[in-house]
Amino acid sequence: MRWLDWYGDGSLHVLEIGLACCALELDAAALQVGALPTALPPAGRVAVVVSGTVTDRLAPGVVALVDACATLAGRPPVVVSLGACASSGGPYWDSYAVTKGVDALLPVDVYVPGCPPPPEALQAVLDDLRVAA
Amino acid sequence: MSGPASGHGSIRLVEQNCTSCMVCARECPSWCITIDSHTEPVPDLPAGARERTRNVLDRFEIDWSLCMYCGICVEECPFDALAWEPAHTDAAPSALVLRHGIDELTR
Amino acid sequence: MSASTVPPADWLAAATAARAEGFTFCEWLAAVDEIGRPGGRDVLRVLLVLRHLERPTQTRVLATELDRDAPRLASLRTLFAGAGWHEREAGEMFGVEFVGGDARRLLLAAEFEGTPMRKDEVLGARSGSPWPGAKEPGESDASPSRRRMVPPGVPEAEVWGDRDPAAPAPGPAEVAGSAVGGRARRRRTR
Repeated sequence: MRWLDWYGDGSLHVLEIGLACCALELDAAALQVGALPTALPPAGRVAVVVSGTVTDRLAPGVVALVDACATLAGRPPVVVSLGACASSGGPYWDSYAVTKGVDALLPVDVYVPGCPPPPEALQAVLDDLRVAA
Repeated sequence: MSGPASGHGSIRLVEQNCTSCMVCARECPSWCITIDSHTEPVPDLPAGARERTRNVLDRFEIDWSLCMYCGICVEECPFDALAWEPAHTDAAPSALVLRHGIDELTR
Repeated sequence: MSASTVPPADWLAAATAARAEGFTFCEWLAAVDEIGRPGGRDVLRVLLVLRHLERPTQTRVLATELDRDAPRLASLRTLFAGAGWHEREAGEMFGVEFVGGDARRLLLAAEFEGTPMRKDEVLGARSGSPWPGAKEPGESDASPSRRRMVPPGVPEAEVWGDRDPAAPAPGPAEVAGSAVGGRARRRRTR
């Protein structure tokens, strides 16, 4: 879990909650754009990207992490649900162990469909967030 | 919406080929395909022919928040009514918006 | 993979002997619920795969059969420390008691109830959700009076959810066997 200064100019900081395969797509997108790990800056836009399957066992940890993110940043982060598992439970919606989407735990602002979504799909979402009002 | 350089793309519906047979909805492992249909008498039969009915598709919906893009539906359709599409499904502000009906699936 | 099957009482001795022959790496230990399997017996089979570190293409596979109603087996964690987590997972997923072992849950949430890998454990989310495939071609509402199709993973209503209250309760084999999907069958009660 690390803060990524996504564009290298402080315009958007991303916290990755990397739980499963979709985390690799976020990492590929980070490599493509040259995102740099940094300490959290005092101001600017912050996004949390939940990448992968949320199991019931890990769900409290995900909530604690997003809460801590909001506290540390002093502002609520934009929450992005990357991939089918984070969006709805995906192919594991019927599992005894899986939370049916991270939106069962906290509000999600953007849902990115895919299994996994290509890095370009996440990049497009972050590009929109960077310039959003 | 241009196609991405990578990824699995998406799935589109060829509406004129669909017979509402339900095979795709039954084979989908994620249960993400919803189909409604009704039956109608076949029109314009020759004189004296026995009355027949056909299925008419009313609603075909894929919930992209569930779909894992496995392509089983494309493979299983006996009538080639589903096909791979290079463009990826766009992100959305809510999971409900990711339920695409016939209009979005045939665009 | 051919397994040597030993009685449960000989489990620790057989594993100890294999280790003495040089099979010192515990690769994995797992359980399989064989209820409802054609030609199988209603047992929980526990499998152990040991690998020889000096001849790494060689494995020794041990198996034993446990009673589904009281599955108890000696823990191997004093022999192979690596068996500990495998036993915790087999324990929580199948209800196997590993005597002398670590009974804590490994993967399941503390409040979770059940032994989800047993074949008679019903997949609640599937059974509780309407299946899009339940409709027949040419209809928009699944009419309940017909003999419907059921999806894999959901026991037929007659067996599990919707059965005649006067009929006997389903045994585990009946629940396990009915969850294969297809056209719903009439229930055969013994």
